[in-house]
Amino acid sequence: MLKLALRNILRQRTRTALTLAAIALGVASLVLGGGFVDDILLQLREATIRSQLGHLQVYKRGQFASGGHHPYDFLIESPDAIERAVDAVPGVVARAARVSFSGLISNGRGELPILVEGIQPEPEARIGSAISILAGRKLTAGDDFGIMVGEGLAHALKLKVGDNVNLVLATREGAMNTLDFKLVGVFRSLSREYDTRAVRIPLGAAQELTATSGVNAVVVLLADTDLTARARADLEARLPAGYEVKTWQELADFYNSTAALYERQFGVLLIIILVMVLLSVANSVNMTLHERTPEFGIMRALGRTSRDAFRLAVLETALLGAIGATIGVVVGAAFAAVISAIGIPMPPPPNSESGFTAAIRIVPSILAAAFALGILASIGASLLPARHLARIPVVEALRRGV
Amino acid sequence: MTSSDQHSAANIVHSLPGREAAIGGRPRSPKKVLVRVENVSKQYRLDAQLVPALNSVNLNIEQGVFMAIAGPSGSGKSTLLNLIGCIDTPTSGRIFIGDHDVSSKSPDQLASLRARTIGFIFQTFNLLPVLSAEENVEYPLLQFKELSIAERRKRVQRYLEVVGLSTFARHRPNQLSGGQRQRVAIARALVVHPKIILADEPTANLDHKTGGRILRLMRRINRQTRTTFVFSTHDQRVIDMAIRRVDLEDGEIIRLGVRAGKEWVYAMERMNDSSLDGEEDDS
Repeated sequence: MLKLALRNILRQRTRTALTLAAIALGVASLVLGGGFVDDILLQLREATIRSQLGHLQVYKRGQFASGGHHPYDFLIESPDAIERAVDAVPGVVARAARVSFSGLISNGRGELPILVEGIQPEPEARIGSAISILAGRKLTAGDDFGIMVGEGLAHALKLKVGDNVNLVLATREGAMNTLDFKLVGVFRSLSREYDTRAVRIPLGAAQELTATSGVNAVVVLLADTDLTARARADLEARLPAGYEVKTWQELADFYNSTAALYERQFGVLLIIILVMVLLSVANSVNMTLHERTPEFGIMRALGRTSRDAFRLAVLETALLGAIGATIGVVVGAAFAAVISAIGIPMPPPPNSESGFTAAIRIVPSILAAAFALGILASIGASLLPARHLARIPVVEALRRGV
Repeated sequence: MTSSDQHSAANIVHSLPGREAAIGGRPRSPKKVLVRVENVSKQYRLDAQLVPALNSVNLNIEQGVFMAIAGPSGSGKSTLLNLIGCIDTPTSGRIFIGDHDVSSKSPDQLASLRARTIGFIFQTFNLLPVLSAEENVEYPLLQFKELSIAERRKRVQRYLEVVGLSTFARHRPNQLSGGQRQRVAIARALVVHPKIILADEPTANLDHKTGGRILRLMRRINRQTRTTFVFSTHDQRVIDMAIRRVDLEDGEIIRLGVRAGKEWVYAMERMNDSSLDGEEDDS
């Protein structure tokens, strides 16, 4: 049956070539579209992780649920035990303690509400590799009272590197505490909103300003994002009671909504392509099977069942689908490689100031899915015509050949 | 009995003499009935109308005969052939092939019956165009799982030799002449060792000379293998070569004849079961 099917699809070469082209085009579109979306989401994911979130964050239990409104209630007074637990987890490449409070910034000309993040400069430099410095430099271990501000905030207060600013925070007891800082750099993260209200100061200075010795979170960077789930489970098993671990995905609202949007768009694209392939193949299969109705009549007159006729018709189209899908995958991957080598300049995503260069990733799962969809669409296109063909009485089928 | 039934030639009993009786010899004992058609009618639906194609036909076909079903276009000969070949079903009545009542069989059982019992030869040859001559002959054998590949190929070669096409085994149908294609069709019909071969206007698409050769080939096979051949035809040459004839008109049998030398002896009496003696004519 396979030999017969193969020979049959080679009979009408022009029609077969057009059908193959339709399938291949659809599959290649899926490879390119899927690879493009995957690259955008991958870049967004890594930028999200490497600008602020890290892969994991450890909190005192309840802080996440409180929404960060009562930071003093959830201070980790002694993070040593947590840091030891983090260091024991395989795949960890950096960890950094942070303390975050709301406060005010003033430079004499104006005053704005801000989010103050006390950070450990060296590990944060590794975790925040996606944060770009627009002016000045990053904080270093020697900057006891240095400060970095977000791009939007610098713009709002007309701040320049070297300027002095004053931070005002409320301590746990409710007293107002203030410290002067020298601006060492202006940064741009992935989030425009964050950049309009965030400042980063050394952890020691933040603790002095808040009159505490604790931290709010320990941020963990892993060697690979794929390790996240395993590392989280491992870390949870090692942590003392009273702490919780959140993954980047639980913290990345912007990424999650963007990913959902892209995935929905790609889903619609996928359906459109599927329908196009299905209709193209159905048209060709319909014509072919209609013309060959007498042959199927002969087969059945010679003792083949209507099921055999159905199987042959579907097998022929499945073979077409397999060949077309293979061509589509190869062509799609080749185009993806070429386009990626050139790069696709992309505008900044929503709520961001930075554009980026997208590529088209060649992802095995997308190649496999596009290949399978090419075959499935082809088989789907053949089912009704094949069923109709198999139901034509033998005599009627033979008569059509006269 | 309806008026139509009363006028049905199928219900006229014809005393069919055996060949010996027809030429004054001693009748032989009756041969095994291979196909029994019992009061079969067939109607086709054309829009809202029912068009009768066959009307209460009764017929016995005995093993080894070389029979022509003759009649003008639209007389019902192809319909009768299709019903005997189990590729169509009667509106009423029953058809037996051997001991099997085919009207009670499922489509799959009929397919199996066709595969092992019946060979078809079509007016338009109906070879599978993507297969070579030998592959076309082999095609019906692929369902015979009991045959090894070697046995299958041996049988294919044998029947290609029988029809004189061994040297054209690798040729595809479009590389063969009309006569050669029909020979391939004959080999394909024979290769399953059928009990009966049904040929629908086998010479209609062939020139006079080639048609004659094909007929002589089939007659030779009939004599040598005792395979039953039934033709539908309006070609006088086919009728002349037959040893039994069934004449149809307007879906009814009007004459049943047996050859007596160069003449036909007709049974012309009303009957409920028109039986043909399967005598061999060696003329």
